[in-house]
Amino acid sequence: MIMELIGEILKLTVLAGLTLAGILVILIWKKGLATKVTYLRFLVQVVSMVAVFYLFTYPVWQLIVLIVILVLPLFLGRFFCGWLCPFALYMDAITLIRKAVKVRYRILPDKLNKFLHNLRYVLFLVFLIIPFVLVLLDPPSSLDLATLLALLLSGPFEPLRILIGPIIPLIVSWEGPLAISGVYFSYPYVQEVILYSEVVFSEVFVNIIALVFVALTFVGSFFVRRVWCRFCPTGSSIAVVNRFKGFKWAPLLHIDKDEEKCTKCGICKRVCPVQVTEVYEQKGGKITTSMCTLCTRCVEMCPYEDCLKVKLGGKTVFKSRNWLEPSTTE
Amino acid sequence: MKNKSEEKKYMPEISQKEIDELRKAITATSQRVVAENIEKMKKADPNRPEAMQYFDEIADFATREKEIRAAKQEGKKVIGYMCLFAPTELILAADAIPVRVNSGWYDASKLGDRVVPVEVCPVVRSTIGAKMIALSPYLELSDALISVLTCDGMTKLGEILSDYTPVWAMSIPRVKDSAQSMRLWIEEIKSVKGQIEALTGNKIKSKQLKSAIELTQKATKAFRRLQDLRKGSPVIMGRDAMLVNQTYMWDNIERWTEKTEALCDELEKRVSQKNWACPPDTPRVMVTGTPMIWPDNWKVPTLVEEANPQGVLVADELCSGERLLYDPVGVDEWSMSDMLNAIAERYLMASTCPCFTSEDGNEDRINWLLNKIKEWNIQGVIYYVVRGCMLYAMEYTRVKKVLDRMSVPVYYLDTEYTREDVGQMKTRVEAFLEMLSARIDI
Repeated sequence: MIMELIGEILKLTVLAGLTLAGILVILIWKKGLATKVTYLRFLVQVVSMVAVFYLFTYPVWQLIVLIVILVLPLFLGRFFCGWLCPFALYMDAITLIRKAVKVRYRILPDKLNKFLHNLRYVLFLVFLIIPFVLVLLDPPSSLDLATLLALLLSGPFEPLRILIGPIIPLIVSWEGPLAISGVYFSYPYVQEVILYSEVVFSEVFVNIIALVFVALTFVGSFFVRRVWCRFCPTGSSIAVVNRFKGFKWAPLLHIDKDEEKCTKCGICKRVCPVQVTEVYEQKGGKITTSMCTLCTRCVEMCPYEDCLKVKLGGKTVFKSRNWLEPSTTE
Repeated sequence: MKNKSEEKKYMPEISQKEIDELRKAITATSQRVVAENIEKMKKADPNRPEAMQYFDEIADFATREKEIRAAKQEGKKVIGYMCLFAPTELILAADAIPVRVNSGWYDASKLGDRVVPVEVCPVVRSTIGAKMIALSPYLELSDALISVLTCDGMTKLGEILSDYTPVWAMSIPRVKDSAQSMRLWIEEIKSVKGQIEALTGNKIKSKQLKSAIELTQKATKAFRRLQDLRKGSPVIMGRDAMLVNQTYMWDNIERWTEKTEALCDELEKRVSQKNWACPPDTPRVMVTGTPMIWPDNWKVPTLVEEANPQGVLVADELCSGERLLYDPVGVDEWSMSDMLNAIAERYLMASTCPCFTSEDGNEDRINWLLNKIKEWNIQGVIYYVVRGCMLYAMEYTRVKKVLDRMSVPVYYLDTEYTREDVGQMKTRVEAFLEMLSARIDI
């Protein structure tokens, strides 16, 4: 068992190393790409999707995934959402299709966006509570703490699924009730949708509901950039440290703004895929918001040198450049 | 459209003979002033960058006038604008020529007194005067004018000029960072796009608009490169750089970019050779306030750089200077509506014109000044205001408070469109520079 584990870890390390080497080669080969964070992010997303695929074939994957999602935010905020989440890659791919067919994205009104943002906590709670409600409706013989814990952690509905919903990407094989010519639907959240709708509806409807869900998320992310990120319940657990001003110190990774260099040109607000307004509105210093997925698009597009910075533990890792390339002066 | 030559709302009737006489006299003065200014600039820096030659030539109005005339013969349209909020990219995308038509002629401002009282800002009066006697070639060649209703003077100036040329008024919201302001301004941009299309007969397609935006982005790049070069020891005199910035207002933008890049190449070479334009310990001055427009209103930069002790202008916050091109159009996706949004935001939100206010007042301007002072290592600020420029004059108190806190000396220099106060101003500027160099010695 332990040898198997080590073997798996070695495989993963080799895979990660090779991919990183590949990225480096591409970046050096195409020098211009090194300045374009969006391309880099795409690469990281693809790599992480491959990594997730491996994680799912791994015996203790669920535990690792959970640790990663629960520990990462303490240090990195919603970095996971912006850079690693496979569902985000899926939405970004749809965005590429939209760009190719030259359709303009729609902008959600700020109020609706904020509402969706708060709705995630409700969704999160609902998913956690449902199994208990169902248990109460059909009480088992003994209702002790162990049963309750089992319900929360595994049980027929596995509320923890909602925490890892978006990282079950299209490529992970899964055997569910819905199959089209032998290919099972392995779409983020579809398992949950099926599980929960099975309780109320007959199997025919379950499939229809799952299909409608897939269609809605597809159309939604076609017209609205990163539509799911705006109310993703997974994001709520991840972003909780970024939410409160008192926790400003907590995330190691955050966006920092230099007010004096900002001319309030509004580019950061416009280019943000989840329509975060705080980068534009806040006075300077650390930006506190739990909506930001740290995709760093704003930092990339900000045309004022040093105005926006991505800081990791107080050290600047990436900053806005004069993206028209400044000259060097003494 | 009604017959404009018949009915004039504002302009007085002047006989053709008088117009001709006045134009001849003022044009002669203007040519003399241009030559004199360039002569002075050459004298101030004996080894002036060679690339400046081009800008000297283009600063002479006749050269560019000939070119625009030739282009007009081929059917191109010329669209003039008064404030820099006019969307240059849209004009370029419709294959028209953008020119800025504000006037810097002192003598013309006396003529403007016949239409508006002397209390009015001289930039406005001078532009009216220039139109009266057909002095400015760019104003004369314009097929239409875009008048952005920024300050009171500009609002009425557009109305007055509509006696001669079709004027498209764009009402700009005074609070620049609210959602409703942005909606209004985008509508204005779209409407002016329609007007440009109707005048030129060219439909603005996303491909053309994209290349126009890229053109101005390249110009911004060259422009910023030049301003960045002024951060270190003075490698170029402030007046030379200001002239380069200023020529953007009427030059062919593609060529201007090329020439500015060439100038920057030369300057970079000089930086590596430590070949300075003036001693590196010369007091570094920034000027902010009312626009200074070539050729006549070159008074303050000349005084600063020829005073004893000498100062050097390394930065400015003028809408005829660094504010022209500092902000690029940042496009997220190259679709038509996004490009229009980007253009609208660049012109409205990034501007630091004092005609705006917001929750924090005109905080952006303060931030601009602070950033310049720190990055460009400014030792003193000249707050330049012409009589009648209410908005700049009123913001002085706030700017002074902020700069006092930083212990950066700021000097309020008020003047008029006149040559008569040069002697008196010289004393004032020299006293200020004396104080600055004393501070540096300490």
